[in-house]
Amino acid sequence: MNSKIRHIRLLAFVTNLAILSFSAPVFAVDDGARAFWKAREGSTVLSFQFLNLNMQASGAEQFAPGLYIYPNSDAEANIVVASWVRHITLFDRASSFAVNLTGGSVQADIGASRPSDFLPPGATPNSEFSQSSSGYADPTVQLDINLFGTPRLKSNVDLFNYEPTWTVDAAVMLGVPMGEYDDDKLVNLGLNRWFTRIALPVKYHFGAFSPGYMGSFEITPSVWMFEDNDDFLGQTLENDPILQLEAHLTQDFTPTVFGSIDLLYRKGFESTIGGVEAGEELDIGDLGYTLNVTTTDNLTIRASFSSNVFGDNDVENSVIRMQFVYRWHEATENNKKLQHH
Amino acid sequence: MNIKGKNLFFKLALATMLTLTLTISTTQVNAQTQSRPNILLIVADDLGYSDLGSYGGEINTPVLDQLAQQGMRYTDFYVAATCSITRSMLMSGTDNHIAGLGNMSELNAPNQVGKPGYEGVLNKRVASVAELLQENGYHTYMAGKWHIGLKPDQIPHARGFERDFSALVGGGSHFDDGWNINWQIPMMPYTEDGRPVKKLPKDFYSTRAYTDKTIQFIEEGRKDNKPFFSYLAFTAPHGPLHLPDDWLRLYKNRYDEGWDGIRQKRLTRMQELDIIDKNANFADRLAFLPRSSGMVPAARVLQGRKMELYAGMVEYMDDQIGRVFDYLKEIGEYDNTVVIFISDNGAEGNDLRSMMAGQPGTMGYLHGMNNFAENNHNSIGRKGTYAEYGPAWAQVSMTPFRIYKGWVAEGGIRSPLIISGPGVKGAGGLNKKAVLHVTDIAPTVLELAGIEHPATYKGRDIEPMQGKSWVGMIEGDTESPRTADDWLGWELFGNRAIRQGDWKITWLYEPFGSEDWQLFNLATDPGEQQDLSNELPEKRQELIALWDEYVETNGVIIGDRSPFEQAGKQLPTRVLESDNYPPVRGLEAVPYEKLLELMNRQ
Repeated sequence: MNSKIRHIRLLAFVTNLAILSFSAPVFAVDDGARAFWKAREGSTVLSFQFLNLNMQASGAEQFAPGLYIYPNSDAEANIVVASWVRHITLFDRASSFAVNLTGGSVQADIGASRPSDFLPPGATPNSEFSQSSSGYADPTVQLDINLFGTPRLKSNVDLFNYEPTWTVDAAVMLGVPMGEYDDDKLVNLGLNRWFTRIALPVKYHFGAFSPGYMGSFEITPSVWMFEDNDDFLGQTLENDPILQLEAHLTQDFTPTVFGSIDLLYRKGFESTIGGVEAGEELDIGDLGYTLNVTTTDNLTIRASFSSNVFGDNDVENSVIRMQFVYRWHEATENNKKLQHH
Repeated sequence: MNIKGKNLFFKLALATMLTLTLTISTTQVNAQTQSRPNILLIVADDLGYSDLGSYGGEINTPVLDQLAQQGMRYTDFYVAATCSITRSMLMSGTDNHIAGLGNMSELNAPNQVGKPGYEGVLNKRVASVAELLQENGYHTYMAGKWHIGLKPDQIPHARGFERDFSALVGGGSHFDDGWNINWQIPMMPYTEDGRPVKKLPKDFYSTRAYTDKTIQFIEEGRKDNKPFFSYLAFTAPHGPLHLPDDWLRLYKNRYDEGWDGIRQKRLTRMQELDIIDKNANFADRLAFLPRSSGMVPAARVLQGRKMELYAGMVEYMDDQIGRVFDYLKEIGEYDNTVVIFISDNGAEGNDLRSMMAGQPGTMGYLHGMNNFAENNHNSIGRKGTYAEYGPAWAQVSMTPFRIYKGWVAEGGIRSPLIISGPGVKGAGGLNKKAVLHVTDIAPTVLELAGIEHPATYKGRDIEPMQGKSWVGMIEGDTESPRTADDWLGWELFGNRAIRQGDWKITWLYEPFGSEDWQLFNLATDPGEQQDLSNELPEKRQELIALWDEYVETNGVIIGDRSPFEQAGKQLPTRVLESDNYPPVRGLEAVPYEKLLELMNRQ
């Protein structure tokens, strides 16, 4: 191989170790495999995700953490998440900062028999009704910092020396209540309340840390916490925290393709409306898979599917996701300019 | 006395005589066994002159350093410029052009093919030292690289080794995947006790495997108290640079400072150890190599990673040699074992991968694609990769000499030599007087074993050995086996050299030579920097006459093709920047940390 091309590819690799750094967990999907992999300081990532979510709750359970949708309902959501991620160094550790903008539409068919207090205006007790919402959801910001296993990745020297085994991060996400919200509707894209997630992503890397050979086991315990929504059909909606466990087993198939088996389990989120308990707590376990293809030095395409296979039998959901990630670093791009000079 | 009584008397007398005879003969055999030492000949593959700690290297080699402390080191020991050439002389005690390796079998020139001395294998004009030892009561074991014959009558088992585990060629994977760099022999052919090895065990790693087999052979053969000759021919640290996973990062970042700094430190240590003289002329950095201080830190890290692997392989080998020594001590044989340690040629600075598998469209390239394409900086050292450390590090390994493997400059043919064991006088000493050659080892071993080299072997006439036994030297009787009139000669790939005393002439292809004879005084100029041809034309002419004698004596045929005939065009061009050119003003005003910070943006 031409040494110049090799050099470009090498720089591209080391500059862009982090493939993805965001997903849309607030819409009941996981962060994704290799979401917390690190890149060189100064790397920028733009990501666009298209999500199709289908949810059915036949019993009294609820789903869609963050959103409150009536139990005993079907819903479908089509969501787009745009993310901007910047890899930085904090306290001499590899870190990242992300801003996520979410929007789309959600349609729900609700068949629960509910006290009239919990019904939106126009809905008849003991009969089915439909609601939908579209527009922007609540934006989120996330700060992730490595605690162990990934020192600063400031220069190519740092990257060349980076061969992680165990890594532990701390990640804090904050949701800002700026999304579409109608207090007369059950179904909204915005939550009308602040929310946060605190996560502790842990990874174990195996195999040579070079494209085509990398593998990882990743497990991320996290907890979601929600402020009260004091304008929910004129009442106050309170939710218990969600305890979440996300895990991935990833393996490179080729230097540009990796696959992953994905697991997401969520529990908690018991709801109280106006002081009255509403619905049962979440107990959903999803299993899925992901295929990730790096098409150029800058562009990666990912497809994944997951569906709940354990947890409460009365709840079903499935998620189809397509994601496009474009990333760059000034030094890599400058090097390309030189090579093409 | 009746007949019956007479019979009894005779029987008793006969029994007594037989008992006495047996007792005496057993005593003699035991005495002979006791007086004949075991011989452990250890050969490293492509190890550089200054890699060992006892030769000034920074690589951790405590076992060999300890061996040097117990025995003697020699500064002027010569081998051939490549592997199989050396091995033919090592086994035969005579010049490679006689022993069948006038050229490497893979690289015979058209006009050499089919000519006597160019069979490409250890031919039948010589007897191997193992054959002679085996015939004279020694156990003969081999584990490691052979490289001087592939056919059933050419392999170690057929050439005197009663037990063997052998890689018949070199340059392939050190792991169980077993591919070879040469597509024409795509898989490394191994034999065990003369039979092909069909499958290597999953955890196979060459250096460990050869060590295991050496210990196994000695253990299984020691019941009869016969001495052994064990040839432990490591394939390390020859490329591909491979290491077990837990050794991969043993030297992490130890070579990030670049080759110039490491080389300078080696020079200093070599001077402290008196390996080299302070006022001697050392080789400049090769003209096409950049100074490492001018390289960005990231590039130094990438280049250093290769040297890290190399150093790891050397230390791993040292560690495994320690296992053999420990075993010999455990069975009480260490003190009766003469250990000889050498390398087979200079450190490897050629791009073997490119030479063998670097041209798209060739079978070699296809072979490389299928078996050793991976070369990421974090992958190298593992299965499926082929990394070499290149000319800059090879020159470090060959500090203070010039060039590297393949060339008959000092950098291609000088080797460390350590001898230790019973009868070796001058523990921890350094011999700088003796000019020694690999052909000397066979006669030395035979003399240690009390064997005279015969004129015939198994009914065929064999060539006499050209090497000179070192026994008088190692026992302290003489400083050198050679007189001032003795000389040594080399020829490989058309490059030529003669050394007599401190004087050496070389004829090298461009760009390393002028394609004419050059004259050097190695006493003051071991780096071969100053051609004295014009100043001392008569001396040059004297040595050229010796070259003619060398050709005549050994049947040298200069090849009409050479792998180095285009070296001047293939090697990178001279770098413009060097230590003092162009002169830089005011750079010292920029703190080094600031420079690093700037560079770290790269």
